[in-house]
Amino acid sequence: MAFLISFDIDGTMEFGDPPGGVTVEMVRRAQELGFLIGSCSDRFPSAQRALWEAREVKVDFVAAKHMLPDIRSRFEATRYLHIGDRDLDQQLAEQAGFEFFWDHEGVSEPWLAWLEDHGE
Amino acid sequence: MAIPIAPYAWHRNREGLGIWEGRGRVVATGVGTSPTARRWDEKPESSMGALTILAIRRAIEDAGITPDEIDGIVLTPESTTGVSNDPNAPAPAGWDSVFKMADFPQAGITRGDIDWILLNMPELKNVEFKMNGPVCMSVAFTTAAEAVSRGLAKTCLVVRGWHNLAGRYYVGQGAAALDTAAGPGKYGSIFGMPACATTAMVFEEYCNKYGKSHEMMAPFIVEERRNGLMNPDGYYTQHRPEMITVDDYLSGRWIAKPANIYDNDLPIQAALAVIFTTPQLAAHHKQKPVYILNHAQTRPELQGAVPTLNEWERASDRMGRMLYEGAGIGPEDVSFENMYDGFTLFHQFHLEGLRFASRGEKRGYALDLYQTDISIEGPNPVSPSGGNNGNGRTRWWNHRDCILQIQGRSPSQITRPAEIGISGAHVPNFCDALVWAASAD
Repeated sequence: MAFLISFDIDGTMEFGDPPGGVTVEMVRRAQELGFLIGSCSDRFPSAQRALWEAREVKVDFVAAKHMLPDIRSRFEATRYLHIGDRDLDQQLAEQAGFEFFWDHEGVSEPWLAWLEDHGE
Repeated sequence: MAIPIAPYAWHRNREGLGIWEGRGRVVATGVGTSPTARRWDEKPESSMGALTILAIRRAIEDAGITPDEIDGIVLTPESTTGVSNDPNAPAPAGWDSVFKMADFPQAGITRGDIDWILLNMPELKNVEFKMNGPVCMSVAFTTAAEAVSRGLAKTCLVVRGWHNLAGRYYVGQGAAALDTAAGPGKYGSIFGMPACATTAMVFEEYCNKYGKSHEMMAPFIVEERRNGLMNPDGYYTQHRPEMITVDDYLSGRWIAKPANIYDNDLPIQAALAVIFTTPQLAAHHKQKPVYILNHAQTRPELQGAVPTLNEWERASDRMGRMLYEGAGIGPEDVSFENMYDGFTLFHQFHLEGLRFASRGEKRGYALDLYQTDISIEGPNPVSPSGGNNGNGRTRWWNHRDCILQIQGRSPSQITRPAEIGISGAHVPNFCDALVWAASAD
């Protein structure tokens, strides 16, 4: 059973501009536990890919922020989550059928509880 | 005492004025650029004012002169097009231990201020001529050109700093956060359009009229970023050295279709200072003098709340004619153009108004030109500075680069001889532009 997490970058990730509270370590942990992970940001896709590669994280996807519906159609998952710091993140996530956490909520890695909820 | 602005008569805003009286009597030499930042971290040492002081010191050093040679300063006081603090907001704690305070509490924070600069730069002890060039550094440049050509200043600083406060630029802040719209904004801002929307509408009209498309902008966007990433002083080089691809650009989120997010420039903190002087005094400056052959101005003559294609084309056509008339040159003499690009979708109006690289076309050819070699190595270098799109929002990378190109030291130096360049900002019907040249003739 797959879970998918899309991370916004600026204002959300620790390497964003401005930096957010979600760390690369949190992303790595999610990936190691089997989550499909990637980013949907206003940074252009090639730049997103470069940012992840520079941190040696092999993400499953990168996309422009408004392409969340495309990510949903490309990956089959039980739950879809987007984490961001702007109303726009929330709006686009909801439109695409993603659950949404604010950046400050993401800091406590609430998605880890999904594993227990779904008996993983 | 309030700092004055240039008398109306200084602005060359009509055709038929003939060759500019100051043609060849003013030159630019030293250039000083501060480091950039995405937003202010609220430390005095990295404030817009601190960056401005640094840029001034670098310009003086670059010119190889001493501070006491500076006898004039022209500054653009507005330091953002986005959000500012309340004008009466006090300076943050610790500010007064780093800087002397001017009457205006936001001086050096969210507004440039000549008196504040002079208070905090005691080495500028001979400044007699002080004038503001409001709204845009283009106005400061044209004002300083007039001041030097009229003998009101011999060696004059031209200065603009930009601040960008923490948080988002426009969204829900400033005027956008108010329940009502006042002033001129009540005619255009109450519909909730993002800033690029009017440009997008005119661009759409342009595409419909000439059979062009937004996709045709891609080579220009890519080339600008390439040029910008050659600039060690640019924001993207310093903080996000990421090259954009055509696919990246075309994947951009619409902000106001057909303007996408990558057609919008990124607000930053930065400051620029440039030295203007006379050709005679420039003889002992370290840098090659760059002559100003003319300057000109357009202002809106709107027939509605938003501009139309016809208005922008007429205004930028008039700008081209005024610039060439006063400089005594023609489009065929121009080596490169550095007209404004923030938003990218109006650059072609400026370019076509200058008839840059025209093969007889008058209008509707720029996006076709973008499909040809517009690189710095090619025959028709378009926006070699990279502009705002390649360096971050300042409205002055283009002017700066005209000086550096003609001095032969631009980080994105064009291959063809840089003899004459033109820069101007900002929108096509609200523009102040200058013709820069390697010689006075």
